Amino acid sequence: MREKIKNFLDTDLLEKYLLGTTSTEETLKVERYITMHPEVRDMYNELQDNLEAYAKLHALKTPEGLKDKILYRIKQEGKVRGKFFKYAIAASIAAFIFAGSSIFFYNQNQRLEDEKTLVTNQIKDLEMDMKVQLEDLRNQYIVLNNPNTKKFPVMGNKKAKELKAVAYVNPVKQLSYINVRNLPQLPEDQCYQMWAEVNGEMVNLGVIKQFDNKEQLLALPYADNAVSYITIEQQGGNNTPTVQNIVANITY
Amino acid sequence: MSTLLEKHIVELLKERDEKAISLLYDNYSDTLYGVAYKVVKDEDLAQDVVQESFVKIWKKADSYDASKAKLFTWLFRITRNTAIDKLRSISTKSDKEIQIDVSDVYNLGVLTTRPEFMDVKEHLDKIEPKYKLVLDALFFEGMTQQEASDELGIPLGTIKSRLKIGLRELRKIYGTAMVLIVLLNLVS
Repeated sequence: MREKIKNFLDTDLLEKYLLGTTSTEETLKVERYITMHPEVRDMYNELQDNLEAYAKLHALKTPEGLKDKILYRIKQEGKVRGKFFKYAIAASIAAFIFAGSSIFFYNQNQRLEDEKTLVTNQIKDLEMDMKVQLEDLRNQYIVLNNPNTKKFPVMGNKKAKELKAVAYVNPVKQLSYINVRNLPQLPEDQCYQMWAEVNGEMVNLGVIKQFDNKEQLLALPYADNAVSYITIEQQGGNNTPTVQNIVANITY
Repeated sequence: MSTLLEKHIVELLKERDEKAISLLYDNYSDTLYGVAYKVVKDEDLAQDVVQESFVKIWKKADSYDASKAKLFTWLFRITRNTAIDKLRSISTKSDKEIQIDVSDVYNLGVLTTRPEFMDVKEHLDKIEPKYKLVLDALFFEGMTQQEASDELGIPLGTIKSRLKIGLRELRKIYGTAMVLIVLLNLVS
């Protein structure tokens, strides 16, 4: 053990450690020796005292004003630190606001995107509707203005004397329409239904729901020598016409 | 061992109280200035070193461990290393190196005639130059005894014995002061 300590002291590691020039590994070694061996500890303490004493012998009077300079720099150092924290806080607040607004704008963007899709779809639907209606109107116009178009006034039979309708048939364009002008009021549980006999088959044309728009033309399926009927049916319509309830027929 | 004053300063440092720097300056600046001057051999540079060292001391206050080194040893290490770094950064600029040499000569003359250093010089003169040489190599130049032996062309055995005598001479000078410190420590 003595030998080991003597060898250690001979390496000058302790002196290097005193001046702070040892590597990390060396520092750990020296510190281990200092804590474990009192002789080394005493030697180290003596070296420290010697160093201080010897350094004091070399003391020089510091010039006037150096202390103030140093104290000023220390104060600045504190301010820099303070400033740094201020900037750090400002930066984190800015980052927070940025993150917050990003989420907000993202959500808003998402919402607008959804709305846009909705509106686009609505526009498409409207366009489709318009096309269909325009096509309808065009056809009606063609039919009504065509010199070949024949006009058939339709009158109700005795079951519905007030029923008034006009059928337009164009054999050239093979289009036919009916314009229901007036229908007698029916009880709540009954409705008018239209039918057409095409090539011997009875086709359901649907329930006449309302006729508040008296100018509206309803398209009829065209066929040579077709017959259309209007019947009174149970509310909601029927699959087959009730023959005894025919109120009007249109032959064209 | 550490004195009451040292303990007080260390506490202030840990509390980040700027008074610590003021007290450190009052008690150690002359010695640290001397240490810096020993390394850079220029008054202006040494002042810069002292300034930078105090800023480092302030910044590194947390890293000081009283169980591992006396306060002075820690201050000395910082100052000496700052001085060596300063010297290195200066020597890379060759133009300045010449200026330093010039001012060096001038300053040496000034310093030796300043009355306030006479007392210190007197003490230093009590140590024979051959011992001072070895002490300087050890404390300021950070040479190992082997390195000092190689550098100075003196056998290792002679270095060792001169160091021993040098340190004994040194103890004679500050011996009385040391007794006081020991007594103060016993009281506290």
